[in-house]
Amino acid sequence: MEAPQYVAARVQQALAEDGRTHELGIRVDIRGDQLFLRGQVSGSEQRERLGQVAHETAPELHVHNEINVVEATEPGEDEHLD
Amino acid sequence: MSTLTDLRIAAVGDIHLGEDVRGQYRKKLVGIEERADVFMLAGDLTRHGTLEEGKLVADELRGLPIPVVTVLGNHDYHSDLEHEIADELRDAGVIVLNDDGVVIQCGEHKLGVVGGKGFGGGFAGKCASEFGEREIKNFVSHTRGIAESWKMALKEMEADQRVVLSHYSPIKETLEGEPHEIYPFLGSYLLAEAVDTAGADLILHGHAHKGSEKGMTPGGIRVRNVALPVLGRAYAVYCLTCAESPSHDEHQH
Repeated sequence: MEAPQYVAARVQQALAEDGRTHELGIRVDIRGDQLFLRGQVSGSEQRERLGQVAHETAPELHVHNEINVVEATEPGEDEHLD
Repeated sequence: MSTLTDLRIAAVGDIHLGEDVRGQYRKKLVGIEERADVFMLAGDLTRHGTLEEGKLVADELRGLPIPVVTVLGNHDYHSDLEHEIADELRDAGVIVLNDDGVVIQCGEHKLGVVGGKGFGGGFAGKCASEFGEREIKNFVSHTRGIAESWKMALKEMEADQRVVLSHYSPIKETLEGEPHEIYPFLGSYLLAEAVDTAGADLILHGHAHKGSEKGMTPGGIRVRNVALPVLGRAYAVYCLTCAESPSHDEHQH
């Protein structure tokens, strides 16, 4: 059986290199037959694509997509650099 | 009698726009002209660096009422269409820096901006050097060449305030939150060394989504990581204080 560290590395590489995602900052953790995705993306469709690519790369694992969608809020307070 | 006024810089990086979020970022820019004098983007405007995404970004930034300056990021290079993407942005009125500089007239002040993508290599004491295999030498010399271009551009520039706009980070402090193992892929101290040598008032960068907003070069120049996930807001606004003096009247346009 392939060590989970190598599977996680392969999934992370797929998320970065797959033309549908190209997402570099996603953390991939594997515990037993469970795969966890964590990180932040800018839209819910990108989150779903990441889950799909992870599933295709490691179809034997149950994918938990815990990625957050971050929506930029209104600009806040100015910073004065003096 | 001299008075003090602020030059307001709105900044963000890593907006990573795609078709599924078309129009959404533009909505956040409504009223930016009341908050800032210029808008700067620190690269990674797209996700995959395709021409379609480049056009989409150009549409989002087109016709803003204040000058817009950008550099590209590593994502914008992914499809080998960085020149075409830059052309799309320029057609939309955006100033695209590629290891060069521009002087923008903001009211009575001349704001100089120097920048480009930057590159990696790591930080003093824990970095790659131009030694060994050709691939490593190429990697380091790419960063060194960029740093040299920025230094020259800064030295030649005549402006009241000078800002450096980069994608990669010049310092470690603004990477705090990222795994230490990937620091050499997130920036290079050579960029900071060049800017410290030539002088500037502020350095803006992106790239490190899990990093921290605020830091400083060894020479004391303020550095801000404006990656959207770091800011958590549409853009930050930094105010540089300018002293108004009679000599400003002599500046040429």
